[in-house]
Amino acid sequence: MSKPTANWEKVGDKFYRKVQLYTGVFDPDLELDKYNVAGAPYSGAVAIYRDEEKLHTYRGTQAAKSSIDIYSCAGKLIRRIAWDKGTIKGLGWSEDEKLLVVTEDGTVRCYYDLQGDFIPFSLGHDAEEHGVVSCKFYSTGFVALLGNNHLISVARYDEPRPKLLAVPPSEEIISWAIIPPAYSLSRSVEVILAIGTTLYVVDATEAENRDFTAGPFRHISVSPRGEFLAFYTDDSKVWVVSGDWSEKLSEYNSRAKTMPKDMQWCGSNAVALAWEDEIHLIGPNSSATKFYYDSWVHLLPDVDGLRLLTHEVCEYIQKVPDETVSVFRLGSDSPAANLLEASSLLEQKSPKADDLIQLIRPSLAEAVDTCVKAAGHEFNIHWQKALLKAASYGKSVLDLYNSDDFVDMCETLRVLNAVRFYEIGLPLSYDQYKRLTPESLIERLINRHEYLLALRISEYLHLPVAKIHEHWAAAKVRHSTADEASTAQLIVKKLYGKPGVSFEQIAHAAYDEGRVALATELLNYEPRAGKQVPLLLAMNEDIIALDKAIESGDPDLIIHVLLHLRKKLPLASFFRVINTRPVATALVESSAWDSDPELLKDLYYQDDRRLDGSNLLISEALSQPDIHASEDKLHLASKYLADSKPFASHRTHIDDALRLLKLQQQFDKDLGLDGPTSPGSTHNPTSYTGLSAHQTIFTLLKSGHQKRASRVASDFKIPDKTFAWLKLRALVAARHWMEIEELAKMKKSPIAWENYFNEVLAAGNTRVASLFVPKCTGLSAKERVDMWVKCGLLVKAGEEAVKSKDGALFEEVRTRASGSTLLELERIGVALGGR
Amino acid sequence: MAPLTPLSASEISEKARRELLLLLEGVRGKKNLVLEKALAGPLNLLVKFSTLQEYGVDKPFFLENDNVDSSQRNVVFLVRGEKAKTVMKVADQIKRIRRDSQIEHEFSIFWVPRRTVVSDQLLEEAGVLGEASVSSWPLFLVPLADDVLSLELDDAVHDLYLRKDPTPIFLSARALMLQQQKYGLFPRIFGKGDQAKRLADLLIRMRTELNAGDNNTSNGPSFLGLTPSSTIDSLIIIDREVDFPTVLLTQLTYEGLIDEVFNISANQTEVDSSVVGGAATQPGQTGSASTSLKRKVLIDSKDPLYSTLGDANFAVVGNLLNVAARRLQSSTERNQLAAKTTAELREFVARLPGYQAEQASLKLHTSLTEEIIKFTRTDIFMRSLEVQQNLMSGADPTTQHDLITELIARDVPLPLILRLLCLESTTNAGMRPKDLETFKRTIIQAYGPQHLLTLSSLEKMGLLGPRGGTSLGAIPAAKPGTVTNYTPLRKTLRVWDDDVNEADPNDISYTFSGYAPLSVRLVQSIIQKQTLANLIKPSTHPQASAQANPLAQGLRIFDDACKYVRGATVDEVQKGEEKAGKAKSMLNGAHNEGKTVVVFFLGGVTRAEIAALRFVGQKLKESGGEGRGTRIVIATTGVVRGEGLVGTAVEERRFG
Repeated sequence: MSKPTANWEKVGDKFYRKVQLYTGVFDPDLELDKYNVAGAPYSGAVAIYRDEEKLHTYRGTQAAKSSIDIYSCAGKLIRRIAWDKGTIKGLGWSEDEKLLVVTEDGTVRCYYDLQGDFIPFSLGHDAEEHGVVSCKFYSTGFVALLGNNHLISVARYDEPRPKLLAVPPSEEIISWAIIPPAYSLSRSVEVILAIGTTLYVVDATEAENRDFTAGPFRHISVSPRGEFLAFYTDDSKVWVVSGDWSEKLSEYNSRAKTMPKDMQWCGSNAVALAWEDEIHLIGPNSSATKFYYDSWVHLLPDVDGLRLLTHEVCEYIQKVPDETVSVFRLGSDSPAANLLEASSLLEQKSPKADDLIQLIRPSLAEAVDTCVKAAGHEFNIHWQKALLKAASYGKSVLDLYNSDDFVDMCETLRVLNAVRFYEIGLPLSYDQYKRLTPESLIERLINRHEYLLALRISEYLHLPVAKIHEHWAAAKVRHSTADEASTAQLIVKKLYGKPGVSFEQIAHAAYDEGRVALATELLNYEPRAGKQVPLLLAMNEDIIALDKAIESGDPDLIIHVLLHLRKKLPLASFFRVINTRPVATALVESSAWDSDPELLKDLYYQDDRRLDGSNLLISEALSQPDIHASEDKLHLASKYLADSKPFASHRTHIDDALRLLKLQQQFDKDLGLDGPTSPGSTHNPTSYTGLSAHQTIFTLLKSGHQKRASRVASDFKIPDKTFAWLKLRALVAARHWMEIEELAKMKKSPIAWENYFNEVLAAGNTRVASLFVPKCTGLSAKERVDMWVKCGLLVKAGEEAVKSKDGALFEEVRTRASGSTLLELERIGVALGGR
Repeated sequence: MAPLTPLSASEISEKARRELLLLLEGVRGKKNLVLEKALAGPLNLLVKFSTLQEYGVDKPFFLENDNVDSSQRNVVFLVRGEKAKTVMKVADQIKRIRRDSQIEHEFSIFWVPRRTVVSDQLLEEAGVLGEASVSSWPLFLVPLADDVLSLELDDAVHDLYLRKDPTPIFLSARALMLQQQKYGLFPRIFGKGDQAKRLADLLIRMRTELNAGDNNTSNGPSFLGLTPSSTIDSLIIIDREVDFPTVLLTQLTYEGLIDEVFNISANQTEVDSSVVGGAATQPGQTGSASTSLKRKVLIDSKDPLYSTLGDANFAVVGNLLNVAARRLQSSTERNQLAAKTTAELREFVARLPGYQAEQASLKLHTSLTEEIIKFTRTDIFMRSLEVQQNLMSGADPTTQHDLITELIARDVPLPLILRLLCLESTTNAGMRPKDLETFKRTIIQAYGPQHLLTLSSLEKMGLLGPRGGTSLGAIPAAKPGTVTNYTPLRKTLRVWDDDVNEADPNDISYTFSGYAPLSVRLVQSIIQKQTLANLIKPSTHPQASAQANPLAQGLRIFDDACKYVRGATVDEVQKGEEKAGKAKSMLNGAHNEGKTVVVFFLGGVTRAEIAALRFVGQKLKESGGEGRGTRIVIATTGVVRGEGLVGTAVEERRFG
């Protein structure tokens, strides 16, 4: 076994290693130098397409057909997408391995799986007019540079919304780069443009000149987490500046005569410069190392390192992780290195093993941890095993050790080794795997149709497997040539009852494929009613869709289906459909009240809902600005109920309302009140129209129109009691005290006399109020005494008390009195006598 | 892991707050916020305006006013997206701004609580979907107090009972489902009422759908989430339809009366500043709008003084205020005299702000109380109360008709009359057809013909109707279970309590000075069986009272009562997988004590009922025997009051 340090290079005081991942990657005939290459983050797939600007060897018509080819890192062709849609100006990946292809006319195609299905969207009119020049991608979005130097940013692909960033100067842009929103200070994407000798930073609101003079900058590169920026100047120097632009960290002179073709970060520690077949790796403090190749080399940056791709090999350069350094560095005397040594001695059955263990005893736990971590960072299975064995040995010596990390690492390595296998070709590093998350890894496997492996890993890691099943079934539906019944049977047999499996998704796939019968069959197995609705609508199964929507209980879905039906069906059949479904009817009614009264009218007519129909007309009558129009509507409302017995009384009410309105208009005319236009004074109403019967009488009385009031009362059979109340209140409100005094002379009243007293007293006229006290014969003496007292007539109160021969009551009155009143009371009090 | 307190108010509001601020953060730069009026209250409860400003909100506008200007490039709409009407309003305003404004705007729409398919469809038809970035703010339950969570759906009554629109049920189910996902299934669901049944069915359906659904989207251990909760005891759903009378009655607790007189919305009430003094504590705001003489008063259950007052019967509030005033006075005075050493003095000074706050609160509540007393002393109030008490105690309703007719002749506000009539109708399974007809006529004559619609709406809502349900043909003949029969209920649930003690209450009947809310009685019949059983049928031997009253066994009272109460009865047990359930109880530790009972009022709850339930909760805590420290959390679609309930039906327009 070769030494683990064999591929290490020292750059400054740090070690870098170049791990050979795969060999014999591409067909030797493939001229990789004539291709543009883009690699998906986290060691994902690699997309290549031929650079149109370069000359090619003619290989017959077949090869001349242009295409985008998607390969795994190991060079396995995953998919060939035939391309005849214009010049590609941007090709990149999102972090969930969606391939984005931007053409010159601003059309973006988002290939969401690796199988060639895409969703297109446009960058807008601007892009169409000026053309896209180039694009830069980040994990969830990208920025496109247009011919007129405008920058267009797209922040997400599920709902792409191209947004124009601030407009930079229109001079030629030499090079540019972006800072992803996750790492920029403004939390939105920022663009660095090299224009002339200076740099501009552009975000959504402004384009700021950074006032550099050292340019022109030929290459700009931003480290994966935005903490450093690297620039390549015209005089072959590499500058590294901190991400907040506050300080220049290092400067390196490459002394190269030719311009490098690419500059990328290798993790966050080093910058790689690439020429055709030469790589310079520049570490901190301007130290550098060089690698030479036999053929053209492409740089594919990743979060923690850099993949190099030539057509023979795929290599990975990264800074050697600290744990690995500590274990393997030549002459290392770290505990972990000793533990590894002890473990290999143990294997050789050498007694020295124990000596070594004893030596590192105090820091053994730490040594075990280091070995476990180093194992994780190791690509070589032999060394992984050796390190885990060492860890396990160390663990066995310790009395207490939490093995969780060890177990986790064993699991992780098993997964990693499985996906690194060349047939899968996902050479994830440990850090990448952690950041990618196992769930996304499963997703990637699914997209590669590696269902078995995905399933095994999911089960192994206790992850949900529903998605895998679904995807498998969807693929089955798309590709199987078997007849509908047996395909359905196969899928149902495998998936039915498995939690989380959405048959709707599978059915949808079937429907998209044109296998409608299969889709219907599969949809029956979907337990979530709501989920079935959109597909059912698409399949023109509207009635079933409505029933399913009702079943789901979601009013939103029900209305959605109803709107659809309303557009599609003639009114009569629409009503027939909702008629038997009360919830649907209620929702139609409810929304029609707000927006579509005509529909409501038809609905009521169709269903013969007389009362509702008539009420609707009344409601419309109320909304009419003109009183005559209101009357017409009311007539209609009345007619609507014409020959239905149960609503006779309702009809009478409507007719009464009409009569009242007529009468009121008559009053308005007679009394010269011209509707709302007359500038009404405070006592007199502007108009009688629209008042209720009671209000009409009240207002008439208040304005002194006795006769008219009585007429209304008799016309509308207002009870005497009510009329008496109205009269009392109206007179009090108008302060017609004289007339109230007249009332007091009446013998009888339909309502109790104390009401007169109370109302008048409340209006503040104690004199008139007192007139009513003697008439309240139905009350007790005490109450009458109180009434007198309230009017301030203590003497009268005293008399009342005396009359009832109530000493205590009299005493109470007496205590309130003073001065002459008191004397007067004393005088009356004598009559009580006895005390 | 500390045991989770299910449905904790602070947790819910914190989550909602965070989500909103995150959304606002997503819109870069300053922005104008366009708010639906109905959301202003909940928003105010969750986030201070100053915080919104920190997150770039420049000016707030109301959607209803349609006046958002183009002063900011970013315009953010925060609206409920369930109704087509509001969606269209948003679309229209976006179009208007786009047309009128010179600059290019960035529109964002935050739908509350979810983005709907229909809203997308409507926006697309209006041609603005592409213009706006759409997201949702999943605001379901808003905590009004530590134990009261509300969906704050102002239209719930209107939708549920007048339009028969199931939207509130669906949103309630969603809200409860979210809580279930977090704290585990409600081990048992009780409920009464047809809509309650629908809600329960929907919950069960959602559970199966969730099981089948994509559990990879829900974060957290979803396979544990769908087992019965070990911290929640049960869910009790009360459909408002089952118990309209409680809402129709005048609430007699302090908080209830504040609501009746001043109208509380989202814990805030507006009081004329002549009543509480114009001590506007917000400088800079007073200058501009001098015409508004209203002052906003926060009804804050965390205020120590208010917490003793709020749920008390109004009759004793005066005394309580007196006691508080005297205590405050003596403690400040005594301290002033006794404070001799500097240390004591410092301590006193440190406590001063507390005193001052208390003083301010005392002053506020004294003036509120005075105002309410003015209201309760009026002849009209006393008469309507008289009618209510007579009706509830079981007097012959026809004896009350003269009084009601007189009130109509005196032109008291219509809602009051409607409350009385509906109360009669709902407690007596309808009114005599002849009486009903007379009253209808009188109301139309007194208040105007437009109220033909009002009366129809009331009938549709089931608030008003002829006995036997024969007259208007709309309702088929009464079947058992379609009406609530109060006569037997007075006995089986003792909903009328003759010897009520308002000062030192021993039963929930104190909240209405005699009537014990049926809704709360139903809850009691499930969670406080023993006490209720003893109340209904006091055992003959005083010493035997500690032993089980035969009535208290199982669900006897509940089952008995349900026979006489309208609507379907729900009693569902939710089981999970045995293994997972065990694992969960292992993880959380087995709690048999201190479980939470969630009482959900579909269609709204009154403040008096909240007080009554708090009283029950208090008793459960102290009795030790029965409750085992059970905690009651009240959830609802919104807080209602009688005026609001009948108000939904009242037609506001008039002829002319």
